[in-house]
Amino acid sequence: MRITSRKSALAGLAVVGISTMLLAGCAPAPEAPGSSDKPAASDFLPCMVSDSGGFDDKSFNQLGKQGIDEAATKLGVKANSVESKVETDYAPNITSLIAQNCNIIVTVGFNLAAATKDAATANTDINFAIIDDNSIDLPNVKPIVFDTAQAAFLGGYAAASYSKSGIVGTFGGIPIPPVTIFMDGFYDGVQYYNSQKGKDVKVLGWDVKKQKEGAFTGGFEANDTAKSTAKNLIDQGADVILPVGGPIYQSAVQAIKDSGKDIALIGVDADVTQTDPDITPMLLTSIMKGIQVSVAEVVSEAAAGKFDNTPYVGTLANNGVGLAPFHDFASKVDPGLQGELDAIKAGIISGKITVESPSSPK
Amino acid sequence: MSTSTLPSAAPITLERTIVKSWKGPIALSIFALLAIVLFGVFARPGVSHFRLSTTGDFFQLPQLDVPTTSTGWILAVILVILAAWSVLMVFQSRRVPLWLTIVFAIVFMAGFLTWVAADALIPIPGLLIGAVSLSVPLIFGAMSGVISERSGVINIAIEGQLLAGAFVSAVVASMTGSPWAGLVAAMVAGTLVSFALAAFAIKYIVDQIIVGVVLNVLVSGLTGFLFSQVLTNNPKFLNTPPRFDRIDIPVLGQIPIIGPVLFDQTVIVYFMYIVVAGVAYALFRTRWGLRTRAVGEHPQAADTVGIKVNLRRFWNVSLAGAIAGFGGAYFTLGSVGSFTKDMTAGAGFIALAAVIFGRWDPIRAMLAGLLFGFATNLQSVLGIIGSPVPSQFMLMLPYIVTIFAVAGLVGQSRAPAADGKPYIKS
Repeated sequence: MRITSRKSALAGLAVVGISTMLLAGCAPAPEAPGSSDKPAASDFLPCMVSDSGGFDDKSFNQLGKQGIDEAATKLGVKANSVESKVETDYAPNITSLIAQNCNIIVTVGFNLAAATKDAATANTDINFAIIDDNSIDLPNVKPIVFDTAQAAFLGGYAAASYSKSGIVGTFGGIPIPPVTIFMDGFYDGVQYYNSQKGKDVKVLGWDVKKQKEGAFTGGFEANDTAKSTAKNLIDQGADVILPVGGPIYQSAVQAIKDSGKDIALIGVDADVTQTDPDITPMLLTSIMKGIQVSVAEVVSEAAAGKFDNTPYVGTLANNGVGLAPFHDFASKVDPGLQGELDAIKAGIISGKITVESPSSPK
Repeated sequence: MSTSTLPSAAPITLERTIVKSWKGPIALSIFALLAIVLFGVFARPGVSHFRLSTTGDFFQLPQLDVPTTSTGWILAVILVILAAWSVLMVFQSRRVPLWLTIVFAIVFMAGFLTWVAADALIPIPGLLIGAVSLSVPLIFGAMSGVISERSGVINIAIEGQLLAGAFVSAVVASMTGSPWAGLVAAMVAGTLVSFALAAFAIKYIVDQIIVGVVLNVLVSGLTGFLFSQVLTNNPKFLNTPPRFDRIDIPVLGQIPIIGPVLFDQTVIVYFMYIVVAGVAYALFRTRWGLRTRAVGEHPQAADTVGIKVNLRRFWNVSLAGAIAGFGGAYFTLGSVGSFTKDMTAGAGFIALAAVIFGRWDPIRAMLAGLLFGFATNLQSVLGIIGSPVPSQFMLMLPYIVTIFAVAGLVGQSRAPAADGKPYIKS
């Protein structure tokens, strides 16, 4: 009998343990809504929910958080950011933020679209902004999207120009539009280089015409799968690699080191020389998305009472997307390259060169 | 026999029950049919290229270039012949030998690769190197599972042990600057997770599966928290471990194809060979193994002959944790370098599947791990050269292969009798 009671006591303890952990995983200690220690003038509460990548992904979640924190600091308030661990956290995290009387909730990423839409439909008095998704058409949801294909086009052109082997490669985390749009632009950029220069640089890992087929690791973890994928690209002779998907580039870095070959990497989302300075020597350039700036802008506007649901679309024209400088590679790339890229950029902005991706925000 | 002196004078013939199993031939026929449709009817024009050598080999095998369509047809015909043969064998009430299935699988794989590689290059050594690399943590995890479950404790916590090993090895190796220190620390971390499992499962008789799941969540949460709060603040000091260099074993490493795959690896992989061989030998050839299996099959009998059941289980589960922790170090010290959140990405659960798929046998479990690693890397190679299959389906490939292999080849698998049942001495 003693054993049984002890067993059930321990089982009870385990259950309490699990629930505590699960709850702790879902949300940090909530701030009491309308707590009085905040300055009276700024009762504006900006909030954010990450996707399963978490806020320290050195990528778009991190940039989103930097954006909301930047806006909050300017406003003199404290942003409430909640990290999601798994997909099933999205809806509960949004719900818990709604309960805290957030004025605007920024959801980071395409994968939160369904949860955001449900919450926005049910809570018309709260404003939402969602990054990387343009599917929701509600008066209280502002999509923040980027025509990344334009910047990736420049990246593809630069890669094709730099490549000595005539083969460049790309791979992604999960085949979703915010990922494949990079690959689309990259592919088109290489093709544009080929048509301009009469060359035949090949792109491995993605084909813009087929859309469905490509190299993907199945997740956004910097693990061995990502490393093997990068290695397989190197085995095929690629000497410029574009890994698209949060931290998976870190695995590509190791694959490049292992190969002992002179292979260049292209970063995504931020200028990776800033977020991860260690890898500067192998970083040809980065395809940047102005997540931080745009989130800060949207949050500030909302605080000023100027929220609207017209999508924010980052393009080359409004500097919402762009190509980072070559940094260490400035001396290694073709001297005329920067001039050509500037001309292409002007061409894209003026509409002379059309960059089309099925994933481009409409 | 015929000179029987029994009164009946009839010769005694033993009745033979003939069990005709049509499962094998049917499966082979379906695949042969698939081969004809895929490689023949939907043949892709072009030439398939296979690279067989790496630069460091003894002698360079030339690149193999075969015409896709005709090779596809030839291999499809071979598959049909093999399938027909297996049908014939079952008709004659003979069993389809294992080698036939294996040859069939290899020919099918060759045909498949030829089909997808139309006008593209498949580097065979690269494909296999990646397969071994991806299967290393799975194999360590599977060895951990085999030892633990053979002694009667279900080890769901392999994922947690791998993750703990990956995390602690990264931190310790960064701080000390020595990957060896990281390796030792990884084993300690895995053992600590196991201690928790063993204490709850054996001493306090909590449901083993619940404890395992809780431990996985605990380790994931704990490492994730420490990663965000501590490691990201000072990555230079805490999360830039030195990696093990690959060691090219002279002579062996220069053999074409298998050399670079098996003998140009990191220390962790060489340890893996030793661990698999060691577990296989110890489990079936030593006193420790006999007693371990006794404890897992029939603890009461083991107790009767004086084996301390729970003590043995406790230490075996701890050993299993150490092995899984060691495997976890591969993620950081052997492969990627720095730790990232939840980087094991379910490898522990696949390892668990490999244990069952391998029928709780170390060698078979290793083969299961290799199969999964191969399928994963094949998926990646095919994605790069542009396979005619959508990527979402390609990402399912490793799992589909595993399911087919479990359902088709393994058949019935039986767990150790006392697996998951706590032993309460009455």
